[in-house]
Amino acid sequence: MAASEIKRKFRNLLGGKQEPVQSPIEENFSHEQFSREAAVTKAKNQRPRNPHEEQEIFEAIEEAYYNNESFDTSEFELKKVPEVLDLEKIEDDGTTLRQQLQVVSKKVSELVLQNHPAYAAELQRVMELQKALQLASIICANGRRQLTIARESFTAASLGLLANYKKRQQLVGLLKSLRTIKTLQRTDLRLKEMMEEEDYCGAIQLCLECQKAASIFRHYKCISELNSKLQDTFEMIEEQLDVALSKTCLNFDVDHYEKVQTAYRLLGKTQTAMDQLHMHFTSAIHNTAFQIVLGYVELCSGTGSTNFQKRQYSDLCMHISIESFTPCLIDLCKALWGVMKSYYRTMAWHDIHDEEAVADTEGSGNIEATFNRCYIKQKLEHGLVRIWQDVQQKVKTYILGTDLSEFKLEGFIQVLDLVNRMIEIGEEFCKSKSEGLQDSLKQQSLNYFRNHHRARMDELRMFLENEGWELCPVKSSFQIMQLMEFRFMRNLVHSSQASDKGVQLNSSSPSHHSKYFERYATEGNPFETQQEEEENEDVWAGTGNEDDSDSDSDIPDVLKQDFIDEITGETHSNRQPKRKYSRTRSYQKNVPIVTNTSLNVFRVIGKYMQMMTVLKPIAFDVMTCMAQLLDYYLYTVYIFFGAESSITEEKTVNNRLWVTLQRIQENMIAESPVPGAPPLEVEDRRDKVSQPHISPIVNLISSDKLYGLAERIVAAESLVFLGEQLELLEPHLEILIPPNRKAFLQQFYSQTVKMATELRKPVYWSVTGQSVDYDNVLQHMNTVRWDVKDIMSQHNSYVDHLLMSFQNFGVRLSEVGRRVPIPKAVYDTLWEHCVRLANRTFVDGYANAKKCSNEGRALMQLDFQQFLSKLEKLVDIKPIPEREYVEMYIKAYYLPESQLELWLQDHKEYSNKHLLALINTVDHINKKGRQRLIGLVEELERYRR
Amino acid sequence: MSETYDFLFKFLVIGSAGAGKSCILHQFIESKFKQDSSHTIGVEFGSKVVSVGGKSVKLQIWDTAGQERFRSVTRSYYRGAAGALLVYDITSRETYNALTNWLTDARTLASPNIVIILVGNKKDLEAEREVTFMEASRFAQENELMFLETSALTGENVEETFLKCARQILTKIESGELDPERMGSGIQYGDASLRRLQRQQQTTKRPDCGC
Repeated sequence: MAASEIKRKFRNLLGGKQEPVQSPIEENFSHEQFSREAAVTKAKNQRPRNPHEEQEIFEAIEEAYYNNESFDTSEFELKKVPEVLDLEKIEDDGTTLRQQLQVVSKKVSELVLQNHPAYAAELQRVMELQKALQLASIICANGRRQLTIARESFTAASLGLLANYKKRQQLVGLLKSLRTIKTLQRTDLRLKEMMEEEDYCGAIQLCLECQKAASIFRHYKCISELNSKLQDTFEMIEEQLDVALSKTCLNFDVDHYEKVQTAYRLLGKTQTAMDQLHMHFTSAIHNTAFQIVLGYVELCSGTGSTNFQKRQYSDLCMHISIESFTPCLIDLCKALWGVMKSYYRTMAWHDIHDEEAVADTEGSGNIEATFNRCYIKQKLEHGLVRIWQDVQQKVKTYILGTDLSEFKLEGFIQVLDLVNRMIEIGEEFCKSKSEGLQDSLKQQSLNYFRNHHRARMDELRMFLENEGWELCPVKSSFQIMQLMEFRFMRNLVHSSQASDKGVQLNSSSPSHHSKYFERYATEGNPFETQQEEEENEDVWAGTGNEDDSDSDSDIPDVLKQDFIDEITGETHSNRQPKRKYSRTRSYQKNVPIVTNTSLNVFRVIGKYMQMMTVLKPIAFDVMTCMAQLLDYYLYTVYIFFGAESSITEEKTVNNRLWVTLQRIQENMIAESPVPGAPPLEVEDRRDKVSQPHISPIVNLISSDKLYGLAERIVAAESLVFLGEQLELLEPHLEILIPPNRKAFLQQFYSQTVKMATELRKPVYWSVTGQSVDYDNVLQHMNTVRWDVKDIMSQHNSYVDHLLMSFQNFGVRLSEVGRRVPIPKAVYDTLWEHCVRLANRTFVDGYANAKKCSNEGRALMQLDFQQFLSKLEKLVDIKPIPEREYVEMYIKAYYLPESQLELWLQDHKEYSNKHLLALINTVDHINKKGRQRLIGLVEELERYRR
Repeated sequence: MSETYDFLFKFLVIGSAGAGKSCILHQFIESKFKQDSSHTIGVEFGSKVVSVGGKSVKLQIWDTAGQERFRSVTRSYYRGAAGALLVYDITSRETYNALTNWLTDARTLASPNIVIILVGNKKDLEAEREVTFMEASRFAQENELMFLETSALTGENVEETFLKCARQILTKIESGELDPERMGSGIQYGDASLRRLQRQQQTTKRPDCGC
């Protein structure tokens, strides 16, 4: 293909196309190449030929010659040579070849000639082009050179410029940073300002921002310093915040606390804040307590050189003087209340705000917030108990530090009230039973009360020793409840009526509770409004300003009316009593018999009962002491008025009374110091009272005054009245003492209160025993002959004698009755005893009869009947006591031997002497039978022993 | 715990009803005025330890009812009183006029050596005065009484009254005019050691005294 194309081109070239061919090959021809073609030109010139011939020859040129430029013509021709060389042929061929060369050469030369002008022109243009190119090259070179120069000068500058610009930019940035840093440094000041403004939240935010900003500039060296400074500031903020937090303890302020809390939330330290807060509360409690007590101690010690600053709190508490105890306690309570209130309000705040906070936060934050809240809540709730423990401990230590026994009752009750209030607050605060405080209360109360009681007992003894046993005039309707000291009981009754349940009025009623923190939430202090409140509650009405000498308001009015009408009948005649009584009966009904001493006992009992209501924990101890008051009174009445009769007549004191008296003597009465003996141990005497001595003013010997019967009546009956009044109190007392101690109360009532009436016998019987001369009557009886043979119609004179004595006694009794009212019971006791003694005298007298006839026995009956019938007119007692005692003895005389034997065995009330006398006087029994009965009686006697 | 004192004096407060006896006692013991005071029933009692002439003296004070009807009850307390406050009301001549009777009572029922101080109470009610200081002063002089005007309301002279009376008794003891050992003197030794000491002195002085 390529070969045929070249041939065609060549043919076209050779084919006479005259138009110049501007082949690139041709353009590169140089002059020298053309000049080397001389050989061809020479050959052409050898044989000039005609054009046809030439054409033919040309046509004869073998195709192969056009095939390839690198065609080796020689080799081609040689290959054509046959094997057998034929010179001719070779010659021919040579000739043809030459011809052909000539033609071709000729043709080429023609063509060269033909194209030469074109060539020349072309060459010319080439030359021109070359020239232009050379010029262009120079311009280009110049341009380049200049460009180089330009480039060199321009790039460097601009690069510098750029670099500078960049630098500037950086510096601007740096400046900015530096400015920020400067601001950061200045923030410190601002932070301090904010701190002063208490804008903790803002400060923290600012500080945090600063830190954040600082962390951006971490690469600056100065920043590390700043950073550490910021860190310091931050720590300082936290410290400040801590201080701010601690302020809450003393005075909770919602705004302030909110600020602090927000700040802590910002710090993400709400939990730490809680822990911290509790620590602050603890130290606040300690510090406040310490400061207050220290203040008072220093105040009291004056300019003393002792330094109390370094003392322990408990040690300080010992140095409080009695005068400053209560004010200091009030202050202490107030301050501790303040702390507790702050805590309470803190809790309240958290209750409200944490809920909000939880509600506010959503998503994942919620879980943490809830957790936080739970933590805080738990912490606060646990804290309650701990705070209260601390408070309690402080108050307890304080209270136990001083001996309060010298306090006045009101003062002490005020202290109790304060502490009770504290306990109530404690209960409201954390439902605490406040064992610590209760203990200290109990301890102090017991100590106080013991001391108080000892003084009261001494006082009672003094009263008894000064007692003239005169009737203290009170109105007839007098009752213990009317006394000022019992006024609180009326309230008690009212309240129990009102509240149906019968709960005693005490501040522990639920309505009174859970009020402190609400009532004093914003202002005021529960320890300030005390006086006022006391009056409102009315529990202590009367004790606040009440004292021994304060008497009942009710009494005087009524005294002016009732008392005078009933008892004296006249108004101002007590000095020379001219009172007239109901004529026939010298006894009075239902008149309260009160002595100064028993009045005092009433008052003390009233106070003790008040104490029982307040000193709940020692109510029982108070009760036992109250029992001692009555015990002592009873014992004293016995010692003063009853003891002498019990020696002579063992039967006047019954066994139960005897046991009671023995018990009292053993438990309460200090042995009278034996002269010369070492003084008794103080400890031993502490709870005992020495035996009282009756006032020398009391005369128990004078028979004119019936051996002090008036005084005896006042004494014994005041005791009975005391007992009666105490019985009225029993239900009240039952409420006041712990249920497990009820047995004691019952024992007290059965062994002491009920014994009051039993004491009448020993007290009165010594009067009756002495007032009538029974021995004289007996002597009269001994002179009577009983072995009379006739039935007598006239009684013996000894009966008249006895009745005279009785009459006499009755007169003197009514005389006494003018001085003091004689209750029916006393009247009965007295007469009963008189009659009993008379009856015994009868039996004694009859037993003294050596001999006795049937008629004599009848005379005895006559005498006794006479006595009985006259007695009925004289006294008003039915049935006549021991009437059978006499009658049976008289009538036993008539019994046949066998019945008498039984009778002797059945009637142990008669003495051996009586029985033997009876047997000896009976005249219808033979000697043998008499001997047998005597033997029987003697045997019985042995049994009796 | 028991109070220590050198002497115990038995005191008596007497005078007509409404003179302010209980209020004087209350003021003396409690250092405050008793507001709603009512008539005393029978006797009331109060005690206080005071310091007189370097000695501590326990005053055992019986406050008697002034009303006539309590006379029989109160008279038993006169016995053995060492000192007495005879109180009248300067605004009531009636109470002043009754003084003689009271004085007789005191001198007869109590020990004749009883030290009595006349006390004109309610000094604060100057406007209502019915008994002049001079008049009462003369009465006191005539009857050999000490005299002071007091106010239980303000407390003026209340303590002084008791102290003055106690001081006088103490002086009499020191001068030998009063013998604490005598029964019914209304004086007791407080301290056991003091008593023993005294007794030793007594026995050395009067060996025949068998107490």
